[in-house]
Amino acid sequence: MPITFHLKRPPTVPLEAEVLSPDVVGSLTNSEIRSLTVYHGKRQLPLSEFFDVEGEQSDDLVFHGALNKVRWVGRAMSRGSITVHGDVGMHLGAHMSGGRIEVHGNASDWVGGEMKKGLIHVHGNAGGQVGAAYRGSNIGMKDGVILVDGSAGLEVGMRMRRGTIVIGGPARDFVGLQMKGGTIVLLSGAEIRTGAWMNRGTIISLQPLQLMPTFACSGVQNPVFVNLYSRFLQSWGIHLPFAASEGVYRQYRGDLAVSAKGEILIWQPA
Amino acid sequence: MGGKVTCTLGEVKQRADFIIYWGGNPAECHPRHFTKYTIMQKSRFLPRGRKDRTMVLVDIRETKSAKAADIFLQIRPGKDFELITILRALIKGQPVADEQIAETGLSRAVVDDLIARMKRAKFGCMFFGMGLSMTRGKHMNSAALLCLAAEMNAFTKFVAMPMRGHGNVTGADVIMRWQTGFPFGISFNRGYPRYNPGEFSTVDVLVRGDCDAAFIIGADPGATMPQPAIDHLARIPTIVLDPHVTHTSRIARVHITTAPQGIAAPGTAYRMDELPMPLKPALKSPYPSDEEVVRRINEAIARKPFWLPDGRQPQMVATLG
Amino acid sequence: MIRITGGKVYDPANGIDGEIKDLCIDDHGKFVASVSGGRTIDATGMIIFPGGVDVHTHVAGGAINFARAMTPEDHRRTQAFMRTKTRRSGLGGMAPTTFATGYLYAGMGWTTVNEAAVPVLSARHTHEELADIPIVDKASLTLMANNEIMLDLLEQGEFERAKQVVAWYLWAAKSYGIKAVSPGGVAAWKWGKDAKQLTSPIAGYDKLTPGDIVTQLARICDEMGLPHPMHLHCNNLGAPGNIATTLDTLKHLEGRRAHIAHSQYHAYGGDGWDTMRSETTQLAEYFNTHPGITTDAGAVVFGDTVTITADGPWQHLLYKLTGRKWGNLDVENETGCGIVPYTYRPSNLVNAVQWACGLELLLLIRDPWQVFLSTDHPNGGCFWRYPEIIQLLMNADVRKECLQKIPDRIKSSMVLPEITREYTLSEIAVAMSAGPARALGLKEKGNLGLGCDADLVIYESDPDVLKMFGHPRYVIKAGEVVIEDGDIREAPQGKEFLVKPAYDPATDEFMRPLFEDHYTMSFENYPVEFERLEHPELRDCIPVTER
Ligand SMILES: [Zn+2]
Repeated sequence: MPITFHLKRPPTVPLEAEVLSPDVVGSLTNSEIRSLTVYHGKRQLPLSEFFDVEGEQSDDLVFHGALNKVRWVGRAMSRGSITVHGDVGMHLGAHMSGGRIEVHGNASDWVGGEMKKGLIHVHGNAGGQVGAAYRGSNIGMKDGVILVDGSAGLEVGMRMRRGTIVIGGPARDFVGLQMKGGTIVLLSGAEIRTGAWMNRGTIISLQPLQLMPTFACSGVQNPVFVNLYSRFLQSWGIHLPFAASEGVYRQYRGDLAVSAKGEILIWQPA
Repeated sequence: MGGKVTCTLGEVKQRADFIIYWGGNPAECHPRHFTKYTIMQKSRFLPRGRKDRTMVLVDIRETKSAKAADIFLQIRPGKDFELITILRALIKGQPVADEQIAETGLSRAVVDDLIARMKRAKFGCMFFGMGLSMTRGKHMNSAALLCLAAEMNAFTKFVAMPMRGHGNVTGADVIMRWQTGFPFGISFNRGYPRYNPGEFSTVDVLVRGDCDAAFIIGADPGATMPQPAIDHLARIPTIVLDPHVTHTSRIARVHITTAPQGIAAPGTAYRMDELPMPLKPALKSPYPSDEEVVRRINEAIARKPFWLPDGRQPQMVATLG
Repeated sequence: MIRITGGKVYDPANGIDGEIKDLCIDDHGKFVASVSGGRTIDATGMIIFPGGVDVHTHVAGGAINFARAMTPEDHRRTQAFMRTKTRRSGLGGMAPTTFATGYLYAGMGWTTVNEAAVPVLSARHTHEELADIPIVDKASLTLMANNEIMLDLLEQGEFERAKQVVAWYLWAAKSYGIKAVSPGGVAAWKWGKDAKQLTSPIAGYDKLTPGDIVTQLARICDEMGLPHPMHLHCNNLGAPGNIATTLDTLKHLEGRRAHIAHSQYHAYGGDGWDTMRSETTQLAEYFNTHPGITTDAGAVVFGDTVTITADGPWQHLLYKLTGRKWGNLDVENETGCGIVPYTYRPSNLVNAVQWACGLELLLLIRDPWQVFLSTDHPNGGCFWRYPEIIQLLMNADVRKECLQKIPDRIKSSMVLPEITREYTLSEIAVAMSAGPARALGLKEKGNLGLGCDADLVIYESDPDVLKMFGHPRYVIKAGEVVIEDGDIREAPQGKEFLVKPAYDPATDEFMRPLFEDHYTMSFENYPVEFERLEHPELRDCIPVTER
């Protein structure tokens, strides 16, 4: 049985609660969990001010309520699971190195910021900087999987080095900005400047994209790895077409302003 | 990649034989820029002054500054980032298709000429204004131009500098950096400075309604910020220090009238090239200076109990990752 | 008032080498023969040193502040200082914030620091930052060797006038002495060039050579009688084979006083990056036979840092070599600086040679009064890593362990493996305190004698040198206990030292027209007002011939 957290009252200012991670609460009793410190603005308060805590000792955490202002849920978690029924605030699963997070609602900016491993699935929309590097850092997401069923904001996968990000709805500008590796899949396309300054890595889009002028078409192909990816993503109900009978991928190389070793594949149905 | 290559304005005055203004209108917004620092000055290295210098203006519309320019490049709105990225590719000899270049509103011939001139310059300088830094792409547009300037140093001397807005924006930026390590977008809620533009920057905090009080000094966000931010300022206790009645002071709970900085109050202002200038007031004011008001508030706070119960230290957000 | 009893005292300035001795401090923060009343600290079994003095560091001003802005990722992973009732908040790391700089220096027992590179134009800014560095006493050096007005005068052979102008600048900057960075090299960099040969004219000049600048600036410093001699950063920093330039530069001193900054960066042989090797034996030999000059090591420690120097050409090269972020800032008429984050790695030939060279110079220069502890913070490493260097100097076995991390093919490019010398505690006290204090001409620093400033550090005696020097038991600054058991107890404001060399009052009128031509600031606004300094202390200038 998981530990369940019911939000009693919405925070009036952001609530920083990086203790809400299986690594921290997994070995604690409920009363110990209730007295963990959270930061409501600058005030240090016990977790029980905001949450009812029930259930048994567990690495599985379930949240209920509108956690829009609750930040850093699942920060640096390495095991177990977090399920949120409702919206959740910034930095969900940032720096996480294992385990899984599922959100039945929307998430804010920096979902999986600089994450190392694990899985995050947001069934609603996400904000900007999904799997991105924090300001000044060279490297964003290092590995793992982030799935967003809905839309996403700016700078998805900024400076990511490995791992997979799938955005189901439309994404905004600068998807894969300065990307160094890994794969971003866009099921509903993106606004502008996709792949800007990317060094390596792959962006796959099932919808037409407006590309940077510094990308050059290098042909048409259905690479084998798309097939592999398709199988990998099937368990989440995501279908990537790859059969030649269905269509082709148009491949673009760039960004020429940097090393031009990145690629963008755009699906062209037959 | 990244970083910033810049100089003081005196270097521009002395040496810059090639000056680009990008997304700014100095003729109207920084009227003394041309005459004091850039194109009009004679120097030992550029004895013929204006004749020894080339000025390029890049903008989406023909402003008054275009008259002063040797070359005016009118580009399509929202194509700054694309054009700068094309330039970054072309200076390295990477191919970009003609029709791609044309998308920016410029022809290949014009872009090739620009690059040739940039590479021929002995000392190039790019100034960029809000037309670049505050339009779609924002900080990435500025980053692009800074990158281009840094990369041009593989060929010749090149620097870049933002044209900052009014007031002592640069001063705030400089002092925040030495006291906290960060220029803006800082939170102290954990007892030490943390930085995350987008999360802690003023406009974002206000739009999301993340703060429950506001203290505003030397700025008028009520005139410039988006409506949700202004609505939030009206909702919460807002305190304004300003010599004048402003949009913000009208919606504030408290407005403390202060002496105008530089006119009736002394201090230091940092120029856009980060050089400090002493302000020597010419007039006397019956009102206290901003500094005095803040100092007295600080003294009053110091008399109150500390913000944390005794012995409780805030914890750092663990430094994993 | 404080009485410290039973401690083992190391006070090399007074020839005291580990004697058990009581120390008394009066209410003015000075050592006195006896006190009655006040606090008594029982230092039995503990070791007492004069407070550390950093002769060459970069902690305030435009360049380090530029570096702070460039490294937010480092600020995030670094040690934070929480705000308390007595303490401002701050961040440590590669380019610490001002408040943290004071806490970190004091926390390790250092009580005086010398900011070694201030362009006059941003001197006002530097003094504002220095005022925000708590606890330690401060001095700053004005950059001079690339000032175009001065270079023009030297080119025209107007030595006397040049001297007046230098004195005028020093007072305008309210600083303590003169720093010469790559004479002529920064001026050339402004055209994208460098000055590498001491005897060839500088770009833009017909006759004037870097060698001339060295000779004449050293003479100017001596004739003005500055307490600290010319502080010289030689040309050709960091380049393989630069030992020739360095030795040539030293010859141009023609027997005058000088302090050679971060000599580690100037002691390389070889003719390219893959043949670079240590030539510290040659350089150390020069120091061993010329007792009148001093130096600081500019030692390198392995790991991350950010490099900032007025040496623009070197920084552009580093940027090209590392492909990392690059900041550059050229300052009109005076100087320029470059900023590049950097990681020193033991597996890299160049880095390993640099690491060895710093230690070699400290070990091969025989007189500890000539070579001082520094990393040219933050260039070779951060100042808060000094205890690691102390450990390497005191313990040959630890050095051996470190050498094991270095590939064998690289070891033949250094002499460190053959050196067996180990520093004694007394020698460490010279290298970290008494020596640099003397070189700076600060007689009451680095000295536990009667009447001197009561700046001292008390260590718990421990065979683990790293622990002992990294975590002093007490640090006392001007008679106040500032650190106790690892806690910051007080954060008082330190003093700022400066000089006012005499100059012809007509220099103002000479400068005015030149100024309008060279600068973009009004002449009246240029000099830093004396009233702006917090706790200034004016020091005397006595010409060398009259000493
Ligand atoms: Zn230095």
